[in-house]
Amino acid sequence: PCRAQPKKKKKVDVKKEQAQKERMKKKLKKLEKAAPELIPIEDFITPLKYSESNRVRSLPTLSPEETERRVLLLKKWCLFKQKQDEAEKKAIKALVESQQEALKELRLESEELYEAAIRRDEGLFPFEREGPSYTPPLPGYDPPEGKCIDITKVYTQ
Amino acid sequence: DALLACHRFYRSRPTHGIGKFKYLLPKEVPKKKKEKVQMKEIDAGTEYQYGDVNIQMTSYDLCLVEHFAQYVHRLCNRLSIRVNESYAMPTKTNEVLFMEERGSKMQLDAVLTTHQRVVQIRGLSSTFAPILLEIIQSNQPEGVHLLMKQHTEADFKSRLKSRPELEELLAEMS
Repeated sequence: PCRAQPKKKKKVDVKKEQAQKERMKKKLKKLEKAAPELIPIEDFITPLKYSESNRVRSLPTLSPEETERRVLLLKKWCLFKQKQDEAEKKAIKALVESQQEALKELRLESEELYEAAIRRDEGLFPFEREGPSYTPPLPGYDPPEGKCIDITKVYTQ
Repeated sequence: DALLACHRFYRSRPTHGIGKFKYLLPKEVPKKKKEKVQMKEIDAGTEYQYGDVNIQMTSYDLCLVEHFAQYVHRLCNRLSIRVNESYAMPTKTNEVLFMEERGSKMQLDAVLTTHQRVVQIRGLSSTFAPILLEIIQSNQPEGVHLLMKQHTEADFKSRLKSRPELEELLAEMS
């Protein structure tokens, strides 16, 4: 009795374990075959309440003087923006040209410094900057206590 | 008679359909293969060029972030910098609650959505990188947080859905 029973247990266990492993491997293969999917972005899905036909705005009628004033204002704004853009492009060109000239002069001066200047800067990335704000934070402000809860929907495949 | 009745008379002429040729070509069966989302090779970059760089713009304001991303994309096109991809990261929603200390402690709330857009650039030369940074910084709108970093595999994987079953099985196997 002592010899027979443990032998049976070992055989049955080994077979069961092997069967389990094979099942797991098959499951893994099936899951790995399915390609990973991108998380759907909620920005690009318009909510249904905006596609209802009830939301129609009736705009007030404009007098011809008003429309003409607006059109002329638009033209002036376009011109102003064009001048601004051209000035920006000019500034970029001037920057690049002056940089190239400086590099040429440096090359004439010494090859080593030129090589060192041309190399890429490892400290540049990562680069972070907060945008300018209309209302920067007040120095002596005591905010009320509170908490932030993250309620983003977690998608699983 | 129906041919003659309509205003297009040339349908009755023998020269009708003279320019057609598609019926002579072999018929192509439309392919219905789903494009698998595979990770593209990440360029490490040489000593004089940065590899794949991600410009990530985050803000609470959706329109502002989108317009800024479009502006950056067009700027790179104009400066002949190769743009690999220009995509959006999933939006994060935060619920802000605060304790009102006037008698009964209530918690009022506001729901904020954080939007993020990414423009991926390749082949940025080391001399031009600070100039590009200057341009983007000077045109940065209010409330938009700018972040420039190298592209890594972890960045790509953060866009994909999590697969808890696969991870569980892998943990059990090992």
